[in-house]
Amino acid sequence: MTLTAELRDILGHDRVLSEPLERWVYGIDSGVVRGDAELVAFPETTAEVASIVGLARHYRTPIVARGAGTGLAGGAVPTQPGLVVVLTKMNSVEIDEENATAWVGPGVINLDLSKQTEPLGYHFAPDPSSQSACTIGGNIANNSGGPHCLAEGSTVSHVLALEMVTADGDVVMLGGPAPDPVGLDLRGVVVGSEGTLGIITKALVRLTPNPPDVRTLLTAFASVEDAAATVSGIIARGVVPAALEMMDQRMTQAVERFVSAGFPTDAAAVLLAEVTGLSAAVEAEAAIVEEVAGQNNATTIRVAADEAERARLWLGRKSAFGAVAQAAPDYYLHDTVVPRTKLVETMTRVYEIADRYGIMMLNVFHAGDGNLHPLMAFDSEEEGMLDRVKEAARELVEICVDVGGSLSGEHGIGIEKRDLMKLVFNEADLDAQARVRESFDPDEMFNPDKILPAGSRCFDLGRPPLEGMWV
Amino acid sequence: MAWVTPEAPTRSELSACIQCGLCLPQCPTFRLTGMESASPRGRLMVMSAVAGGQAELNDVFDDLMSFCLQCRACEVVCPSMVPFGRAMEGARIEIAAQLPSPLRRLRRLITGRWIGSVRVMRSVTRIARMVQRNVPARWLPRQIKTSIGGLRPLPKKPLSTIGSTFAPVEPAGAGVAAVLAGCVMDPWFAEVHEATVQVLRRSGYRVVVPDGQTCCGALAAHDGDVLGTRRLARQNVKAFVSADLIVTDAAGCGAHLKEYGNWAGDAGVILASKVKDVTEIVAEAIADGRLPHLEVPRGKVAIQDPCHLRHAQRIVEEPRQIVAAAGYEPVEIDEDGMCCGAAGMYSVLQPAASDELGRKKADQVRASGSTLVASANPGCEIQLRGHLGGAYRVAHPVELYWEALQAADADTVGWSSAGEGNR
Repeated sequence: MTLTAELRDILGHDRVLSEPLERWVYGIDSGVVRGDAELVAFPETTAEVASIVGLARHYRTPIVARGAGTGLAGGAVPTQPGLVVVLTKMNSVEIDEENATAWVGPGVINLDLSKQTEPLGYHFAPDPSSQSACTIGGNIANNSGGPHCLAEGSTVSHVLALEMVTADGDVVMLGGPAPDPVGLDLRGVVVGSEGTLGIITKALVRLTPNPPDVRTLLTAFASVEDAAATVSGIIARGVVPAALEMMDQRMTQAVERFVSAGFPTDAAAVLLAEVTGLSAAVEAEAAIVEEVAGQNNATTIRVAADEAERARLWLGRKSAFGAVAQAAPDYYLHDTVVPRTKLVETMTRVYEIADRYGIMMLNVFHAGDGNLHPLMAFDSEEEGMLDRVKEAARELVEICVDVGGSLSGEHGIGIEKRDLMKLVFNEADLDAQARVRESFDPDEMFNPDKILPAGSRCFDLGRPPLEGMWV
Repeated sequence: MAWVTPEAPTRSELSACIQCGLCLPQCPTFRLTGMESASPRGRLMVMSAVAGGQAELNDVFDDLMSFCLQCRACEVVCPSMVPFGRAMEGARIEIAAQLPSPLRRLRRLITGRWIGSVRVMRSVTRIARMVQRNVPARWLPRQIKTSIGGLRPLPKKPLSTIGSTFAPVEPAGAGVAAVLAGCVMDPWFAEVHEATVQVLRRSGYRVVVPDGQTCCGALAAHDGDVLGTRRLARQNVKAFVSADLIVTDAAGCGAHLKEYGNWAGDAGVILASKVKDVTEIVAEAIADGRLPHLEVPRGKVAIQDPCHLRHAQRIVEEPRQIVAAAGYEPVEIDEDGMCCGAAGMYSVLQPAASDELGRKKADQVRASGSTLVASANPGCEIQLRGHLGGAYRVAHPVELYWEALQAADADTVGWSSAGEGNR
């Protein structure tokens, strides 16, 4: 028997893909790194996932779990020829209205869940730009954020329990319906582990009440400095908007060509602010946003008149990455976080780097929490371009780390940012993470070569041989 | 050997996709299968692999491309504005060129040649009528069961409107509207044509159905028949050369005519710039008072958006405005406007997927609580009727408006003041 034949015994012929062209599309996600998916399987139940893991273990084949493939860091790209387990068919939703929670399959599309719970007055708070396409399984794997995570927190704040298939093929339950379960918080460990610890087959997620009132303000500025000062100013006044998003001029122009939402394309930066809550609070906070924007020389202050205009503005913001394709056929995106107070300084240096390398740079980011998305648009067929882009990216990350920032806000590390981990973690840090991973998956069967750079596990560091052990 | 024809997907069409994946949930076949290879992004990736020589154009490529409905829902949400429909037509042309087969030659004969002949279509209509009247549905093969079941009662003597002229209802002055008779609209949907002509006359247009015209060629284009598509396009360019306004009442034809630039050069670009769907014209006439708002309430109507109206031509509000002006309450059935599965010849070539999508669409209509559905495309109409059964009525929005207008004519109490004032 072969792995293919045994998989087909369990899943049937059509739920295992082995044709080169069909596998080709599973060799890449939304990032730029391509790998080789040797086989692709589509389980529909937890039991099938467990059987697949058992077979993969028997055949010593690595497994990469995948949702919609909208990840930006190569998290779902196989680094070794292996099995890609696609979870899109596991998309059941069971809503518990009384407790405002839902059990969802990993393949449920983020926005589909919010649409289903909308009539009940709830939504799933994490709202990555890819929310119309990305799956909850992927959100959990990457601890995804989104514009509205400024006030609501990222995915980890919205996951109560996880059902997971372990490397041994066992099905375990991590966490539970109680908000603060006893014991080690393994649920917290697994959220954000990018598919390296097990395969999530079901999740209990928290549903968030829809705000009674909402106001979206579009402000524009003649300089990035004024926009950044407005961000700090708003938060200094004690207002934490539900979302606070910035786009620079190039990004705004690309987005406007697609959505025609009336973004001012002559401004150096536009800021999209959303305040939510009870009407009186919304009123007061919107007034503060307008006031602070005015003090910082805003050239445009516009309140979305109705739901349609609001939807249009958000569609623009959430289409930003795709709209870049109008500028160049490829893009490389980072996801660094810097302290809000360092925004202006960092932005200036980021543009300097791009100019020095002769690369087009566009910026769109979650300004409220300092989560930058500097985006380099280029043509990979241009001689030496990809190397230049990678070098520029490294410098860019170094700058962000240098001002006290972090490597990634919400996109994950995957393979693209793996080797940059050493910029933020020392040997002991990396070893600690490698040990956690080892305890879940000692043979690196799940998503090998991801997150942790080679050599993270230092066998002699902080682990003295046990007494009587043969060394 | 990568591509062999000049119509193949171009590098710029393919590299426009940056694989963000926002198209996935909009794609009906991705929704059915959850498979990347059945998604727009996956299909573009596969085309790129062939273009770049990393993969060969084989039967699997054919299968993956043929599973696409060409509904173009992906284009609406694509921030990179990838011309997916064009790229897919290019891929189908490549398949036709590189993987010839007797079945494909037969299809080419049907969609590229026979369909353009009024005489052939008359014979087809007679045979279809015989089947419709005498053969129980359960005896029909799956490929045509829904289609035969979804047809309007076919006429004994199919007529053609080609060559006719209709005078405007005074006050005239809106100009001349040249109507595309189409291949199946004329013999199978005579009532829709009648409504189109009459409502255009009432809007002040002289209506002509120019001689020498033929099928628009959409089906041939979707099947990769480049010669047939060009031949039909050239014939229509000639027939409509003196028209200032070209009106279609089938969404699929309108969408294809608006892309004649791809098939008939500069003359095609010029023709395309003059094309309007009848819903655009009628909604405009209602908005500027040339046609009345009828105020007799007529109940609910479920709105089905044909993909080639909503996604390809981006016409969304007009059918709603028209049925509302007829006195109906438009009811939404699907906020994404997902394909009903008819998709031209798709229902014949991919009956399983087509049936599943048709069932889903029928369920959406049933959930709306309306037994009347407005649809502005013949293929969708057949699919809906086939899946909904006899208790439901499916009609073109302009047909519904024309009926309401006639009822108002018969009962002058029904005239709204706005309509009266303008006459």
